[in-house]
Amino acid sequence: MFSYLFSFDAGILTYVSFLITNIAIYAMLGLGLNLQWGFTGLINFGVAGFVAVGAYATVVLSMTGLPLFVSMVAGGLVAAIFGLGLGIATLRLREDYLAIVTIGAAELVRLVVNNESLVDGKPGAIGINGFPLPLANFRPDIFTRYGMVLMLTGVFGLALWKLGHWCRRRLVSVRESKNKVWLTAVTVVGALVLVRADVVTTIAMLNFKDNQVVNGLLFCSVLMAALVFLLVETLVRSPWGRVLKAIREDEEVAKALGKNVFSYKLQSLMIGGFITGIAGAFYAWQQSNVYPDNFKSDLTFNVWILMVLGGAGSNPGVAIGAAIFWIYTTLTRDLSKLLPMVPTSQIDAFRMVFIGLLLIGLMVWRPQGLLGNRDELTLGK
Amino acid sequence: MSAILSATGLVKSFGGVQAVDRADLEVISGSITGLIGPNGAGKTTFFNLLSNFITPDDGIVQFKGDRIDKLQPHRIARKGMVRTFQVARALSRLSVLENLLLATQNQTGETFWNVWTQPKRIALEEKQARDRAMEILDSIGLIQKANDYAGGLSGGQRKLLEIGRAMMTKPELILLDEPAAGVNPTLINQICDYIQYWNRQGVSFLIIEHNMDVIMGLCDRVWVLAEGRNLAVGTPEEIQTNDKVLEAYLGA
Ligand SMILES: Nc1ncnc2c1ncn2[C@@H]1O[C@H](COP(=O)(O)OP(=O)(O)OP(=O)(O)O)[C@@H](O)[C@H]1O
Ligand SMILES: [Mg+2]
Repeated sequence: MFSYLFSFDAGILTYVSFLITNIAIYAMLGLGLNLQWGFTGLINFGVAGFVAVGAYATVVLSMTGLPLFVSMVAGGLVAAIFGLGLGIATLRLREDYLAIVTIGAAELVRLVVNNESLVDGKPGAIGINGFPLPLANFRPDIFTRYGMVLMLTGVFGLALWKLGHWCRRRLVSVRESKNKVWLTAVTVVGALVLVRADVVTTIAMLNFKDNQVVNGLLFCSVLMAALVFLLVETLVRSPWGRVLKAIREDEEVAKALGKNVFSYKLQSLMIGGFITGIAGAFYAWQQSNVYPDNFKSDLTFNVWILMVLGGAGSNPGVAIGAAIFWIYTTLTRDLSKLLPMVPTSQIDAFRMVFIGLLLIGLMVWRPQGLLGNRDELTLGK
Repeated sequence: MSAILSATGLVKSFGGVQAVDRADLEVISGSITGLIGPNGAGKTTFFNLLSNFITPDDGIVQFKGDRIDKLQPHRIARKGMVRTFQVARALSRLSVLENLLLATQNQTGETFWNVWTQPKRIALEEKQARDRAMEILDSIGLIQKANDYAGGLSGGQRKLLEIGRAMMTKPELILLDEPAAGVNPTLINQICDYIQYWNRQGVSFLIIEHNMDVIMGLCDRVWVLAEGRNLAVGTPEEIQTNDKVLEAYLGA
């Protein structure tokens, strides 16, 4: 367990790189959903559908020779249009229709890509592979590599600074010493994880050519996740975001005060969808193939879990939720090494049961999620 | 003496219940007009029809000379007619201040690409809106609560918040649904003073209220509704001595 945090073994380093990429991708997924649900109150149970649309659009477009990042943006746009379609069809109806239709639409997308042959006349069910990956043929010179290190260090450094800032502010308001210890412990663990992430990515960037595919994706996904984070944070703090929150609280009031509720809901669904679509491109790149089965509803539920875990309505919370979700998954995966006599299938089942129990516990003791605000939940409507 | 708002022959039935049955109403520009009637008379439904929160089965609504009965509710608000709710609705997980800021009209920052293209202008507008909001919060006695969650307000404070939010939109006409219900007498007097103050600044009011002191003290004209129909209209003095009105109230 501690080897992930301290070891410099090449295999472990690669694995942690993979983990960081995963966290970045799922953080993007969580941030997209958080805009829709956490800030606007729209129930999207079709995350996997948005991911699939983004992933397939990006992959297919990039295979026609379109530049990779153009394809990715196009993938995001197609996912946004997917959101537009769902929104126009359902948003004028009662709230729960969106939830129902998104479930169906996601399943529909999966069935379509399963049965359509999108590339070279090959059947959809066998998936697509051999598509271009970001920075896979990139040969950065030493200065470029330093530049990349600097950029990633900037991202982690900023996170670290924010963490310290948050801790100091909370320490002032917290009274009991037990809570102070707890707060400090959480901050220290968070700082350790961030420093470790920075060290691992630094090593990866300096030795970029050792594994261009993994390192290229690592660089791009962390940077993109940071960009998405800035995007949503800026948005939700703006007057635009205030309208979303008002709709979440009570859309009749928003209407009475002259806000076009339907239009804002559409925008939220589309921008959230755009983010999810972009994350979908990374999802495809990371697996270096796309199979219809990669886009089942468990993907949707995992994104919901990490969002609720971190605290819906808090963007830093969702980012942390993504980290915890993947760190948990990784650590429990090693259970099978510790308990060789138990079959892997049982351990897998146990992991799901345990995270379910954790969530139930969280709902009882911290229903607002790890970073959500407790006061908000006790407010009467 | 032109009408800023006029409704003619409004009809709305819910299943078998004829909530509003060919009722008329007129608000003279610059006036404070009252709308009274027994419980269940159809007053709140009438507000919903005026603001198109509920679409009328029949009838015409005109605001500043334009038909608004086919207009979406948010467009009516933007035109300068804002309504409040009888059961006060606070945006719970927004601060009291944010509740008011939201109500500001024509905000550059409410269009999402402007968030990046015009940050300076947005910051300036926010500052102006904040100053105005604080002024309004001061007048409704909620300034100490500015940074608290609106969900923590008491029932009476929520009513005040409703009025404050409505004022924040810089409306030409405000529809108030029982602004004094659940508010303590001292504060009622203060609210009445402010309604008169805002009225002198040119804002017209249409007020539903069961508190007769408020109606008699404020209103230039009073419309009486009973069982969805017009019962009477006149000055407060005329209404007070109208036999039909007394009968409707006492008989109810
Ligand atoms: N959505 C609805 N569905 C069915 N019936 C309704 C609905 N809204 C109102 N009504 C009925 O219409 C009638 C008028 O109701 P309304 O709320 O307009 O009365 P009111 O004059 O505002 O009464 P109060 O003074 O008690 O607020 C009542 O009989 C009520 O039960
Ligand atoms: Mg009523």
